[in-house]
Amino acid sequence: MQIRDYVLRRLMVLPILIIGTSLIVFTLTRIGGSPIGIYLSHEMTQDEVAEIEERYGLDQPLPVQYLTWAGGMITGDWGWSGVAAAPVRQVFPNKLGATLELAVAAGVVAVALGIGLGTYGGSRRDRLPDHLTRVFSISGAAMPIFWFGILLLIVFWVGLGWAPIGRSNSNLFQSIAHPTGLYTVDALLAGNWSAFVDAVWHLLLPAVTLGFGTTAIITRMMRSSLVETLSEEYVDAARAKGLPEKLVLRRHARRNALIPTVTVIGLSFGFLLQGTVVVEIIFRWPGLGRWMADAVLRGDQATIMAYVMFTSVLFLMVNLVVDVTYAYLDRRVVLGA
Amino acid sequence: MAVDTAAGRSSRTLSGSLGTRLRRFGEISREVLRNPTTLIGLLLIVGMVAMALFAPLLIEPNTPNPYQMPRDWGALNEPPGTPGHILGTTQQGGDVLYGVIWGARTSLRLSLIVVSVTVVIGLIVGSLAGFVGGKVDELLMRLVDVFLSIPELIFALAIAAVLGPSFGNIILALAAVFWVKYARIIRGQVIHIKQNEYVDAARVIGDSKLRIYMKDVLPNSITPVVVQATLDMGNVVLIGATLSFIGLAEAGLAEWGVLVSQGQAGISAGRWWASTFPGLMVFLWALAFNLLGDGFRDILDPRTESKR
Amino acid sequence: MTVSHAPEAEIDTTGAIASVVGLRVHFESKAGRVYAVDGVDFHIRDGETLGLVGETGCGKTVTARSFLRLVPMPPGVHAGGSIYFRPHQPCPECAGTGCEVCDDTGRLPVPCPVCGGEGCETCGGSGNETIDLTSLSGKALHDIRGDRIAMIFQDPAKALNPALTVRSQIAEVYGQHRTEEVLQRAGLGSAASMLMRRFVSQRSRLWERALLAMPPLRKKRMRVERAIDDMVSAALAETQIPNPGNVMARYPHELSGGMKQRVMIAQALACNPDLLIADEPTTALDVTVQARIIELIKELQARRKSAVLYISHDLSLVRRVCDRVAVMYAGRIVEIGGTEEIFANPLHPYTRGLLAAIPSRSQSRGQLVAIRGTVPELIDPPPSCRFVERCSYAVAVCGEVDPGLENVNGGHRVACFIHNPPDMAVEVPSFSKVTS
Repeated sequence: MQIRDYVLRRLMVLPILIIGTSLIVFTLTRIGGSPIGIYLSHEMTQDEVAEIEERYGLDQPLPVQYLTWAGGMITGDWGWSGVAAAPVRQVFPNKLGATLELAVAAGVVAVALGIGLGTYGGSRRDRLPDHLTRVFSISGAAMPIFWFGILLLIVFWVGLGWAPIGRSNSNLFQSIAHPTGLYTVDALLAGNWSAFVDAVWHLLLPAVTLGFGTTAIITRMMRSSLVETLSEEYVDAARAKGLPEKLVLRRHARRNALIPTVTVIGLSFGFLLQGTVVVEIIFRWPGLGRWMADAVLRGDQATIMAYVMFTSVLFLMVNLVVDVTYAYLDRRVVLGA
Repeated sequence: MAVDTAAGRSSRTLSGSLGTRLRRFGEISREVLRNPTTLIGLLLIVGMVAMALFAPLLIEPNTPNPYQMPRDWGALNEPPGTPGHILGTTQQGGDVLYGVIWGARTSLRLSLIVVSVTVVIGLIVGSLAGFVGGKVDELLMRLVDVFLSIPELIFALAIAAVLGPSFGNIILALAAVFWVKYARIIRGQVIHIKQNEYVDAARVIGDSKLRIYMKDVLPNSITPVVVQATLDMGNVVLIGATLSFIGLAEAGLAEWGVLVSQGQAGISAGRWWASTFPGLMVFLWALAFNLLGDGFRDILDPRTESKR
Repeated sequence: MTVSHAPEAEIDTTGAIASVVGLRVHFESKAGRVYAVDGVDFHIRDGETLGLVGETGCGKTVTARSFLRLVPMPPGVHAGGSIYFRPHQPCPECAGTGCEVCDDTGRLPVPCPVCGGEGCETCGGSGNETIDLTSLSGKALHDIRGDRIAMIFQDPAKALNPALTVRSQIAEVYGQHRTEEVLQRAGLGSAASMLMRRFVSQRSRLWERALLAMPPLRKKRMRVERAIDDMVSAALAETQIPNPGNVMARYPHELSGGMKQRVMIAQALACNPDLLIADEPTTALDVTVQARIIELIKELQARRKSAVLYISHDLSLVRRVCDRVAVMYAGRIVEIGGTEEIFANPLHPYTRGLLAAIPSRSQSRGQLVAIRGTVPELIDPPPSCRFVERCSYAVAVCGEVDPGLENVNGGHRVACFIHNPPDMAVEVPSFSKVTS
């Protein structure tokens, strides 16, 4: 029952954090002066400029501007994107689909591989497999994503001519319907095999680049967590009960070692989110990250604000889910033992 | 040992703890040297810092601004191994080796400034929150929570975007994002110490809050702060280079991220060197500080010590 | 140089359920080879409680863990010796419930596989199967652990998995060792499918577990769970845990120290083991709870007539629980005998020191008695008596030759030149000659 209280408590703090974040984001964009820059072009007259100011409510006092913007965020009016030359809300879903596909692919592989490698290394402590996985995890965590992506490009795209740039072959892309916005899933649903293969092929390099660092940190946490769990008395006690080693590893060691790993998995979500910005630039992936990068370079405040708010809210909710899962797995946390 | 006079109290601070601290430092250094991965990290750091410090001696500084990449119009896109340009040149004729060496200097500047500033800010905020407590503490911690709810890179990106593309602004942006961790650490330490009984004992003897702070809070906080600062020395450069890569620094700057970004264009034509070498440096820098920071964490963490 | 001791045949070993013979367990460390257990011999008779007493680091825990091969083998090394064990099986007459044939224990020795109980060379004429625990591995080892030999650990908070309920942890024992019984109780009996069998013995594959969640098989699974619930509940009730149904569903951290230890005991006794190894079971508990747990162990042991190896550093505690006591020092047994005999007539200087160190109300106030010095470094032990540095009666020969464990009277054995003078023309130590 106490888990419910814990969840409730966390849920109640959430809106405060979101509001706080929105305040910071808003203040940020107004520090550099009026965000009108992106909507202007050189030839405009004073009157046209004034008209634009009025249109975007930039002649209002700041608190009013904030409330208008915040209100808009909630109701669905996310402003006009100078970069995309369209309402932010309209462009968002497509780009979200692209980024989501990339992040999910990278994330799923990172978690599966990370847990697997971590267990493999941790259960063979200080022997060769362990040393290899540790080298991997340390270098993976320090690896600059942009460099890794470029290296992969150099080797696989230029050198070997394998994987392509961009998200898809446009002919195949247009030949099928897109109910989910995730190209791979859509291709499967449409039963179009060549489209699916094409989608996966395009997804491969960017997903590997994005997932590399995350795999490394998950591997590392899982390994150290497993090593620590294996030295616990209850693991020996389980052996003393006559349980076969595989069962001891699975049911007592690994399951308990997963608990702290869950937190890392949640944190690595943030890692993944951030990585999409760079990965999408390098591989010319038409997602949120690349859009944000353009917006940043050209001062498209509406896009920047929407993007930062979106990722923050997402990040906060993922952290909440992670904390609740952790509390569920380790009863001692909630009941304060 | 502790004599209950003013003179006795001050001797408690100086000779006793100074001696133990020096000895401890010696122990830690030995531990560091013994662990192979930590040692590698340390050696890499020494190498790169040396490269940064001796940059003007290693390679002729560019005029008027040594932090700008030199341009050799006669040697555009030269591959590595060309005489005078061991690592090749960029599309603008910049010597890649120059970029590597002076980029180290830029990175050193960046990381030292950001880390020192953030530690100080974090110290102030954290101490304030911890000591004053109450509403101030709540407010500051809420602020910290809000800052933590925005992913680091994205936050720094937004700030740098708003301030305008320049390396100085990248420094500001990173400082604005990285201070929170220290505030948390220090605040935690202060609260922990406040609840500790020996603080009450110290107060009974007559130590003022400031003395308690200097003698108990600061020394105990050093460990986690040192670990975090070491890791941050690496991560700041990592994120800073990413920001420059995205385009938030001045073009032509002798900075690793900028070089990698500019080298991208030549990739399809097979010109791999302009991006690879600077990028490698970012990796090595982050790796080195991560190795050292982890080594510190393992050595200084009381739990792992007692396990042996 | 060691003085060899009398061959085992001199001591009455009939009825011994476990015999440790010349056990040597060493550890490889950076500093050198640690001779943690270096030549340990003793027997445990069926139904008796043997105490193993000594200071921290004397090797008692390593000895105990060696029974179940729980000593991590790098860095540990089995450097010699054996632990012979005579496993029992549920009595066929009463199916383990207790009858005349099995003397109400529910257990009978397993007949020797070679001679079928007649008596042969392999079984040393006893007709019972004897196995060397130190050479076991794989299935044979897993079958003994938790079933024929069980262990309870020092700190129940650490020895119970915090993420699993009490029920699931005890259920593991039944699932592993009493698969048939569980199936019988669930009404599935011999007609049970491979799937169900694997589920009970906890070997289900992932997809099998998914199948078992679905309606047709779900009912059967529920029956199995109910059966296990009953068995777990009964096990808990035996240790006088009130409201077993409730406790079963709890997590370890929700229980008090005493309750946790009862759970551990219930878990250990679930399969009616022949030998229970108790590694300082009350050290982590409050004094008041300690007494109750000790009473519980004694009572259960008396009822089931199983053997108990009771490890402790506390001699006064051991006196209340054990029939015989073995005193260990620096990896060796220095004295062994009946509890009362040892307390009335301690022969080894170390034992005397331990007894003198126990504070008692009859002592006059003043300094507590302590044995001077500390446990010696177990790396590269010298060939002398291990206790020579701390002994108040040591003479020259004690510093050169290592006394072996010799029988002094009845089953009372001691390793000391005071009682077993070396057959050499040297000065002999004595209690009347205090040398330091």
